Amino acid sequence: MQAMRLVVGGLLPYVAFLVFLGGMVHRIRTWRRLPSPAITLFPAPLTPADNRLNALQEAVLFRSLFRGDALLWAIAWVFHVMLALIAIGHLRVVADVDGLFRGLGMSEADIQSMSSSLGGAAGIIVLVALVLLGLRHVMVSRVREITGPADYIALALIAAIVLTGNRMRFGSEHFDLGLTREYVRSLLTLGDVTSSEALHNGPFVLHMLLALLLIMFIPFSKLLHFGGIFFTHTIVRKR
Amino acid sequence: MTTNDVKTKVVESIRAIRTGPLAMRLYMDMCVKCGTCAAVCPVYYGRPETRHNPAERTDLIRRIYRKHCTTTGRFLGRLAGAEDFDPAAVDDWAKVFYECTGCRRCATFCPFGIDHSVITRKGRATLDAIGATPATMRKVVEVSLRTGNTDGASKEAFLAAIAFLREEMRDEHEADIDIPVDVMGAEYFYVPPSGDVLVNPEATMGVAKVFHVLGMADRWTMSSRCFDGANYGLFTGNDAQMKEENKVYVDEAKRLGAKVLLMGECGHAHRIMKMMMEKARWWGDLPFAITNCMQWTAEHIRAGHLKFDKSQNPDRVTYHDPCNFGRSCGITEEPRQILAAACANFQEMTPNRAENWCCGGGGGLSAMDDIYEFRMNVSGKKKLEQIQDTGAHYVATACSNCKRQLTQLMEYHSLKVEVGGVHDMLSRAIVVNGKAAKREAYV
Repeated sequence: MQAMRLVVGGLLPYVAFLVFLGGMVHRIRTWRRLPSPAITLFPAPLTPADNRLNALQEAVLFRSLFRGDALLWAIAWVFHVMLALIAIGHLRVVADVDGLFRGLGMSEADIQSMSSSLGGAAGIIVLVALVLLGLRHVMVSRVREITGPADYIALALIAAIVLTGNRMRFGSEHFDLGLTREYVRSLLTLGDVTSSEALHNGPFVLHMLLALLLIMFIPFSKLLHFGGIFFTHTIVRKR
Repeated sequence: MTTNDVKTKVVESIRAIRTGPLAMRLYMDMCVKCGTCAAVCPVYYGRPETRHNPAERTDLIRRIYRKHCTTTGRFLGRLAGAEDFDPAAVDDWAKVFYECTGCRRCATFCPFGIDHSVITRKGRATLDAIGATPATMRKVVEVSLRTGNTDGASKEAFLAAIAFLREEMRDEHEADIDIPVDVMGAEYFYVPPSGDVLVNPEATMGVAKVFHVLGMADRWTMSSRCFDGANYGLFTGNDAQMKEENKVYVDEAKRLGAKVLLMGECGHAHRIMKMMMEKARWWGDLPFAITNCMQWTAEHIRAGHLKFDKSQNPDRVTYHDPCNFGRSCGITEEPRQILAAACANFQEMTPNRAENWCCGGGGGLSAMDDIYEFRMNVSGKKKLEQIQDTGAHYVATACSNCKRQLTQLMEYHSLKVEVGGVHDMLSRAIVVNGKAAKREAYV
């Protein structure tokens, strides 16, 4: 177990970081080099600035999808907003998000209870949305017939991450924010994590492992839509 | 070509995606398989089978791309959605890639703006590279390259048709309304769509009447060698042929010394000229501007230069937005302005403009008689319903492909709905020398 802990907790974070960064940089550099003749789809924004704004709105609001399939829009939008909320919540580990809230006049207890209630709710809602997205892949024929193993793997991986995360919030092996912060600080300063207390929490290590796999998966899978959406929208609406 | 050659060529064509264009490359990586494209596709609406699912059609290419161009695909194979090309699939490819109308409706609603028409065209280009373009399409391109028009009509046939139109207009208005031909130095060079002079002559009369009323009858011309804007290179995916066909028209405009290339009611012809040739500077600087006859006429209507007798068009009229004008050129208001000016009872279709449903004959399918049943029962199904919902007696549209498809669709389903052009309605109602046309023959 100790070896597993060290590989996942001490080595994999760096590997995942490099793979993700390298993968994304490679992708974006290739994309930027390729010729891109206009294939304007109307209505098209008048200026390049308007076009970027339009792509941003698409990325934040999923406007085209809203007009195309309102039900899917609702599920997908809630899913991604919850993911974003959860990502922001995780920032508490590395950044002084608490200081921001204290500045707004919240007490330590207020911040804790907000984190528990919002984080807890997000963890549940994202799981519900994920199940609904999965059900579409199984039950709606136009979706089922185009779904492949990679699509199910991506869904299952995210589900597993959410489940292990929820277990730490709602289960007995609750995560310890203080210990986690200490551990991540060691990671960021290239310090020694071998004796880190946080790595003695089994679900935490599993959660880490799955999340790092997902991060490495992004540049090489359809999860690339995470960054590619800005490109595809600006291309198709470019005048 | 041996099976091995076929496979090599196909793989080579698909490997080329790595070097662009960017859109194509991104589409190989980005689809999340949400099924929205299928929900908005006219073909999938007509027959919800896997082969008609846009994402599945695209996957035909994507699987091979993954196999040959991605690390995950090379090592994980099917698990990563990668598969090699099977030469036995060529015949099916030739069918599948000609079952997409290239209408781009999927791109309008896809959460990522993925334009499956780009991938369809890649599929067709790949087929063309191995000589597997369907015979019907091959023939049109061949005739067009040989004669300069898709009907294979001669100069004499064209001149006879023009003489007939002059007579018609004389009967209608008791006035000499000219259609100038081959006039060097004329300011406007009018390029009608495929078959408009020979098959759907009213639009050409409409344009001639506008010039006449504006007192500009001596400032435009048609060409006896370039009277068909159609360009099937767009549909077969063969860029070299598309450019070759296009060059003939650009050279003719230069030879005539025209200042304005006035494109007719033909969606893809206008798109190639305006959105592709001019934008990508195929032939460098152009000594002429490019505009569409609908934009030109609508401008004169807005300026109050033209008068109409709407009682000439009392029946309910609707407008079908050709995909190439609506989604691909952004020309949606001008035809409506013309129809609103010339018709007493205009009714919109729903949805319309950029969200309009394809007629079912886009992407060159309209010219393929071997898939007539498919066009009538599958790809045209939604359009039929949409037209019926309007209760219109006349469907105006600005594209010869749409016109052919819609005319056949109305006949096949025994609907008493007339199909024609936008300038056709204008021709019937425009006031020349104080009165509109005396019409008998067209009702």
